[in-house]
Amino acid sequence: MRHQMIGNTLYFYFQGDFDNLCVQGAKQICIDLIDRYAPAVVKMDFEEVSFIDSTGIGFVLARYKQLNKMGSRLILCNLSHSNQVLFHMSGVFQVISHERNGVKL
Amino acid sequence: MNEMKMSFSSKQENEPFARTALIAFLMPLNPDVEEIMELKTMIAEALTNAMIHGYEGREDGCVEVCVRYEESGMVDIIVKDEGCGIADVELAMQPLYTSKAYLERSGMGMTIMSTFADEFHVESSAGAGCIVHLRKQLHGQSEFAL
Repeated sequence: MRHQMIGNTLYFYFQGDFDNLCVQGAKQICIDLIDRYAPAVVKMDFEEVSFIDSTGIGFVLARYKQLNKMGSRLILCNLSHSNQVLFHMSGVFQVISHERNGVKL
Repeated sequence: MNEMKMSFSSKQENEPFARTALIAFLMPLNPDVEEIMELKTMIAEALTNAMIHGYEGREDGCVEVCVRYEESGMVDIIVKDEGCGIADVELAMQPLYTSKAYLERSGMGMTIMSTFADEFHVESSAGAGCIVHLRKQLHGQSEFAL
């Protein structure tokens, strides 16, 4: 996972399988970075993610709650069609928006 | 008919291994990209349930996976653990229900399995482990399939 802070926006770039093992490794790092930078917006880029399961959905929802408490927004970027199907199933898009762009590292 | 069985420790790093092994075993059916994604997600959910919920994160449990397929493309996947079991299977099936919200679980595992499988069945009770049966008809890229 890579990240960068530009202006008030914190970008996370995930790669490969966003599964239980990956989320366990990334979770605390993301929590700490959000706490440290207190960004107005967090954008999570999934362009290089080939696989997501319910653990990934749980992670995204938990970061949404973390940011919501701070009055900040979460935006998901560049989800593949298959990954969008999974997120759609969970109703995530009722509270979190998805966009197809983002600033690359 | 072709059949494959594997059993492994309930260590989280074995979940991607089992996911990959399942797809490799089913390659003769030539599944398409969408079917591969659905199969991988289904088994990932069943295995994560066994490891996180069944064995509650303990790594010394045993997870068994049995996969069978017919030349018609019908695939049966059975995932079995001998963990703590599910006291109320009906409740566990509810979308967004999770007994482990503090672990940031989404409660979507059962819903995902139910959506991607043609048939989905869970046998479990408190203290009695869990058996998940997933059945899916593959259509694949038919010109190359068996």
